[in-house]
This record gives sequence, C-alpha cells and structure tokens, in this order.
Amino acid sequence: MSSDDELAERLRDGDERALRTAYDRYGAAVFHLAQRLLPGDATGAEDVTRSTFVAAWNGRDAFDPARATMLGWLLGIARRKAVDRLRQADPASTAVRPSPESPSRDTPATLTPDTPASRSPGTPASRDTPELAADRLIVADELARLPADQRRTLELAFFDGLTQQQLVAVTGLPPDVVRSHIRTGMAHLRRRWEVDGAASGSRSAGPSRAL
Amino acid sequence: MQHLDHDRLVLLALSEEHEELTESDHLAHCAACRHEMEALRHVAFVGSQVQDLRELPPPPDHLWQAIAADIERPAPPAPVVDLATRRDQPSAGRKPSAGRTAPGRSRRRWLAPLVAAAAAAVLAVAGTVTVDRLTGPATAEQVTAVATLTPLATVPASAGGDVRVTSDGHLHIDVRDLPLTTGFHEVWLLDPDDPTRMVAVGNLPEAREAVLPVPAGTDLNRFRLVDVSDEPHDGDATHSGKSLLRGTLTN
Repeated sequence: MSSDDELAERLRDGDERALRTAYDRYGAAVFHLAQRLLPGDATGAEDVTRSTFVAAWNGRDAFDPARATMLGWLLGIARRKAVDRLRQADPASTAVRPSPESPSRDTPATLTPDTPASRSPGTPASRDTPELAADRLIVADELARLPADQRRTLELAFFDGLTQQQLVAVTGLPPDVVRSHIRTGMAHLRRRWEVDGAASGSRSAGPSRAL
Repeated sequence: MQHLDHDRLVLLALSEEHEELTESDHLAHCAACRHEMEALRHVAFVGSQVQDLRELPPPPDHLWQAIAADIERPAPPAPVVDLATRRDQPSAGRKPSAGRTAPGRSRRRWLAPLVAAAAAAVLAVAGTVTVDRLTGPATAEQVTAVATLTPLATVPASAGGDVRVTSDGHLHIDVRDLPLTTGFHEVWLLDPDDPTRMVAVGNLPEAREAVLPVPAGTDLNRFRLVDVSDEPHDGDATHSGKSLLRGTLTN
C-alpha cells in the first residue's frame, strides 16, 4: 500500500491529521494552481486553497483512489473553486471555464478509449492554460516519484534537451539503460497524466477517463 | 498493420529525431499511433516546463489555521440545508401576497413570480415528503450498496447525487443540480473494467429522487459504476457518451 492510499484511508476514516498530512504534501501545489488561475488576486488564491481543503474534508467520502491520485483530486476541486470565484467576480468570465464537452454519437466517449489528442492535438505549446497549469503540477509530482536514476535521466532530457547519446556521455550509464529509463519514465508520466487529467478536470474528455 | 515501435515514438516525442517519411505516412493513417504520439509529445512538453515546480513554496502559515478552524465546525448535512433553503425562500417571498386587498391588475405583474414561488414551495414540500418516504420504509429493506455521485469535469461542481441499492433489488437515486437537458437523464450501471459494457437501469423523472428496479441478474460487483447521462430524444437506446455524474457502488 503506497503512502497515498494509506493517507486516503485515514482521511476517509475522519482522521483530521490525515488532512494535515495531505496539506503538507499538496498544499503548495494547490496554492500554486490557485495563484495561476487567479492572477493578481492574492486573497482569492488563499481563499481557494482554504476552501479546497475544507471541501476535501467535507467530501472525503467521495474520494476514490481508483479514479485519481489525491493530488489530482485536490487540483480538480481547486479548479472548480477558482472557476466559482471568477464567476462570482465576473459572471461573464470565461477565463477558466472548461471547454464544453459534447462528444458526438460518432465518438461516444464511453465506447472509445480516451485520447489525449482530444485536448489540443498538435498545438501543445501555443499558450498557457489552466489545463497546462494542472498538468505541470501532476507531471512534476510524478517525476518526483520516479526512481532517482530515471528521474535524473528524464530531467536531463527535458530541461537540458540532451539526446540519448549525450545522456549516455553525461550519466555514464550504458545506452540500453538510458533507453530503458526514458521509456519507463515516460510511460509513468503518461499514465499518471491520463489518470489525473480526468480528476483535475484538465481534459475535456469523456467518461472513460474517470476509470 | 505494423505499428510504430513505442521506443521510436518516445524518441520522436522528445524531438530527438525527425520522422521518416514512412513514419509520417503511418502516423497520418494510424489513429492509435498518432494518439500515442500526441500524448507522449504533450507529456514531454509539459515535462520540459516543470523545472521550477520541484520546490514549491509552502502556502502562508495562517492558511492552515483557517482550514483547521473551518473543519472543526462541521457543516450540517447538505440535503437538510438544501431543502430548508428552498422552503424558506418562498415563504419569505409570500409575505406580500398575505395582504388583504384583492389582487388588482397592477399587482398581477409581481404576482406571477409569487405564484411561481408558491409552486416552488409545493415542490419543495413534495421533495421533502419523497425523501421521507424514501428514507422511511426503504430503511426496512437492507441497503446492500451505496454510491456518491460526483460531477464529471464539464458539469457544474454543485451537481451530484446519492445512490442506495436495497436488498429488494431497487436502486434509490437522489440527484441535485443536474444541468438542464432538452432530452432526458438516464441511469446506467457500467463495468469499470470495460466501460463499453453497461446495463441501462432507467430514466430519471423530473423529480430529484427516483426508485428504479435493477434488471434481474445484474452482477453489481461487475457493473458497479453508476452513471447518469444526458440522452437526446433520438430513438437511439445506446449511451449518448455524455456522462454527467458518476460514482462507484461500495458495500
């Protein structure tokens, strides 16, 4: 049982210390997202963070570790709270409103595996969005959970743009180990993104994501 | 069809190498590879931006104090608040109509909302009665499984619901704040391990609550994911793909 599962169990049992642990672990990420979604509204970011954890406590029975990680769940709540706040401030605001979902009968979301392509195929880099802000926090969290060697290899590839050849030279690891680290690491990040994109509302995809 | 090697997709996603012509051709025609590629590209793109997120500053200290104070005042159960609010609002609005004078023409204009308010009051009371009826005799039947329905990402966060399955094979469902539909709302039981497998349970009436018989022989251990969908009146009995609420049945 991972410590996150254990934490979820204690939370659902009504253990207030579990909420504190969740806050210590994910409070910074939730606060960061709130600040991104409500730029220039410091009070708002604090209020959203606060109401997110209060809502998580009151709605702890609804948390299903099979559907999302705790971070994904919390970011999803935070996003909705931020949207609520924006709407209160300016009912016409669409700044953080999730794009409308209308899967047609031709592509019933229930019947086809969800595809990340439904998000922003081909144009991932164009602009910063609430989705991206949540995605970054989720990917960063997963990256931090990878075994040290895998993480280091991926960080060098991501941040420094090193090729596999260069990675071999820099890390001193054999080429097949580097390749394996990249493959395994990417698979973990991709899976996590798929799972938590649903919970944090970062993807306008259908029901299958929630599974 | 020979799919592209996954390692190769990862390399391409990391922009380490360029697609060969044959690969571009395959990607253009193969949705599976293309989606995988786009997913990997997105993850790599996101990954390249997380350098500054590894050490996030903690929120201000006073924030936890506020949270701790909030959770020590437990919120009253939501349904009670909900119904009470509904009851209170119309009664406050009804005051003017208690005046003795017969409603004249000039009053008609503001009477219309009052009539609506009175109707809402009736509805609210009816709602209470239904709740009582549901929680009353139903408790005689043993509850065998429960689920809390939560909204999907595109559905307003206030939407939700509760489900109880009783030993007499009925599914008691209580929903709130569902988005308006030009069609109708339908309840399904899905197999979370293979969401293409599902059992249609029935339609939700206008009311918040409904009691629907679970089709005989349904394995609730398998079909344990309750799903409420928005269905158009198109004569197509299959799931529209537009899910609104979901929740997993637990014993």
